[in-house]
Amino acid sequence: MSITSLYLPAPVRRQFAHTPRDHARRDRAVEMFESGERLAAIGESIAYLIPGMATPDLVREPLCLVQGSARVRLHVDGDRFYLSAVLATLTPDSNATAALRHFVSSVAATGQLYQPRLRDDVVALEYSDRVALMHPLKLIELLQTTAKEASGHDAWLVDSFGVEASDREPIAPLAADEFDAACAIWDAHWAATEDMLDELRRRRSTALLNTIAAYANSQIEYALPLYGSLREDLSDADDVYADREEHPTKRQAALAQCVKEMRQRSRDELARCLGHARYAINPLHDGSPSLLTKVLSGAQRDQTIGDLNAAGRTLESALYQAVDYLYLLAYFAWPAAIAAALREPLDLASGRPLREAADVMRAHATNLVRAHGGEDDDERDEPADADTAGATR
Amino acid sequence: MSAQILDAIDHLGVYQVYTGGGTGTGFLIDATHLVTNSHVVSPYRTVAVEMRDRTRILGTVRRVHPQRDLAVVELSRPVDGAVLPLSDIEQYRPKQPVHILGFPVGLPLSLTEGVISHPRQLLDEQYFLQTDAAINPGNSGGPMLDDEQRIIAVTTCKLNEADAVGFGIPVADVRRFVEEFRAQSVPFGVQCPACDELIAKATRYCPSCGSNLDTRDDFKEFFHTPDAHPVADFVERALAKANVDPVLARHGDLNWSFYNGSAPIKVWCCCSDHLNFSSRLAQPGKRGLNDLFRFLLSAEHAPFFFDLAGSTIRMNLVIHMSDVFTPAEHDDLVERVGRFITKADSADNLLIKTYGCLPAPETQTDFLDAPAHENA
Repeated sequence: MSITSLYLPAPVRRQFAHTPRDHARRDRAVEMFESGERLAAIGESIAYLIPGMATPDLVREPLCLVQGSARVRLHVDGDRFYLSAVLATLTPDSNATAALRHFVSSVAATGQLYQPRLRDDVVALEYSDRVALMHPLKLIELLQTTAKEASGHDAWLVDSFGVEASDREPIAPLAADEFDAACAIWDAHWAATEDMLDELRRRRSTALLNTIAAYANSQIEYALPLYGSLREDLSDADDVYADREEHPTKRQAALAQCVKEMRQRSRDELARCLGHARYAINPLHDGSPSLLTKVLSGAQRDQTIGDLNAAGRTLESALYQAVDYLYLLAYFAWPAAIAAALREPLDLASGRPLREAADVMRAHATNLVRAHGGEDDDERDEPADADTAGATR
Repeated sequence: MSAQILDAIDHLGVYQVYTGGGTGTGFLIDATHLVTNSHVVSPYRTVAVEMRDRTRILGTVRRVHPQRDLAVVELSRPVDGAVLPLSDIEQYRPKQPVHILGFPVGLPLSLTEGVISHPRQLLDEQYFLQTDAAINPGNSGGPMLDDEQRIIAVTTCKLNEADAVGFGIPVADVRRFVEEFRAQSVPFGVQCPACDELIAKATRYCPSCGSNLDTRDDFKEFFHTPDAHPVADFVERALAKANVDPVLARHGDLNWSFYNGSAPIKVWCCCSDHLNFSSRLAQPGKRGLNDLFRFLLSAEHAPFFFDLAGSTIRMNLVIHMSDVFTPAEHDDLVERVGRFITKADSADNLLIKTYGCLPAPETQTDFLDAPAHENA
């Protein structure tokens, strides 16, 4: 069955607040550190990382940062700084050896400052050092990486190894109507991706594979508040099918396998892996005017869309553009007005004939860049692989 | 011919040369001197030379010809590797076989083969022997041999923009360079890039030809102590404090490698934020893995940590770059590095004896049961 329109639903995932960091605070923290105010520098660094938060005093009161289902605990005792985030508790019924192998090979071997440490049967990510050695840049990196690691694997660890989740923050389940909407998105998204895979088998185009791969992951990331083992499984599959260094045949097979598996997931499993989590440290990067310009404009983008339209390849043209919007919405936090402006072309394009959808999204991109784009941000907060993480170029 | 060389490869006097800038190859001209490229040792006056048993000895640069890209290094003690003769044949023919010995990309001594593509290729106003044999970083300074195992050239460079276009310094130039070194009366000298005059101290103009040597970085740099990178400065201070000779440990730009007892230790910057110390110690056995993994993950090891990289257990220490740039706390960090080096040497024994692990291929197994090691 040929594809006549794209499915680009409104998200169930709540919008992350756009809270740009005040980089002057980070600079101030460095100045404090260098002038010997080491404890004050720790408080200032945390306040920089979490805009709106009152500057904490870790000597007087330990701090617990809720990051999804993880609790990252910080305190200062004497001249030492301590960070800890419990990952799991080994139990007699768990596959402890496999879990320990995972920690020592997949978590420890990443070479981060934090490390998985075992105390009795509890595995936690830990870091400790003298306050005098907690430079703000080190502390900021430590908090960001620990928060990401701790919140990414908890449910997956339980499902994979039968370990016990401990010291976890409960995640608010979706309301009934939200859950129904999420299930509808889940079903329709994977059905649409399967149709695209059929189209890909006919066309045998690596460019189309790249676009479908980006669509498969970024739409789910954007539309659903997914966490736990399902998210981890998707991420593992994405590592293969979105890897442009990998052979296209292997990527296509991985994507097909992923679609097949995702379509078989039960409602119970979905329910376990959907929920609205709180994040002390924004897990998204702050979007910037220059990022908008970079992703939604440029001679190469115009040329590609023009060539696709001229060749009558409307699916590729529409999907190519939709993926750019999904990427910006999935992985970056925006002011409400820009988020709405990014969402609008998807609403207009969803369900419409492909040619019209492509034209609508192209016109909106031009207007968006004109209204909100920019060049040369002083401090762009975007990942190093921002140009390839989700966008098709 | 190749089979003969390969049979005797461990006995050849061809060794890997290490500096803070990279690694290359050198070959013996007698028991205490080896020839390599000038660009291999530049800008250092002392280098490390690794023997086949992985021990390293100090080498002092005695003579350099930056223009002809040759250098002589004097070893701190005589070594017994076979000295390959310099060929006395001046003329070589195209298509004649060439055998290149060296340490490509840091691999153990390797032999690559090809033919002479041009025996006298003019490039940048100098003649080279051109070959199609594979030349890679690390081969520099190594000997190019003919079928009679005579040195016919010294590997120097290749064209990056072309395939299989490598160059060697013709043996006649090498022989002249060595003969002039034998007659040298000063402990160190750099030859003027323009007239070959040997110059023993920094000077602006060549006393012989009047060339302005201030414009020649490849001349000047041998007379100035290289600026130490703050990271290199910190690491080498920490190594020296732990009784590890930093010169012998150098392994290229911001890289160090050495053994402490049985433990191979590497130090490198993986990114702009982290300075890594790591030692590949052992491989897990087939039984008792739960206990082993519990030990590896135990909180008692902090600030060090173990991980499993493939099938090798490593002990690691990560130092954040901001700590390196906090000099007031260096004493603490230097002490931490020292503890890491000491603990790595005893950890492999513990893993093998208590947890049934196997030595890692890189481990110096000879040292595992040494009394000093047992006591570490």
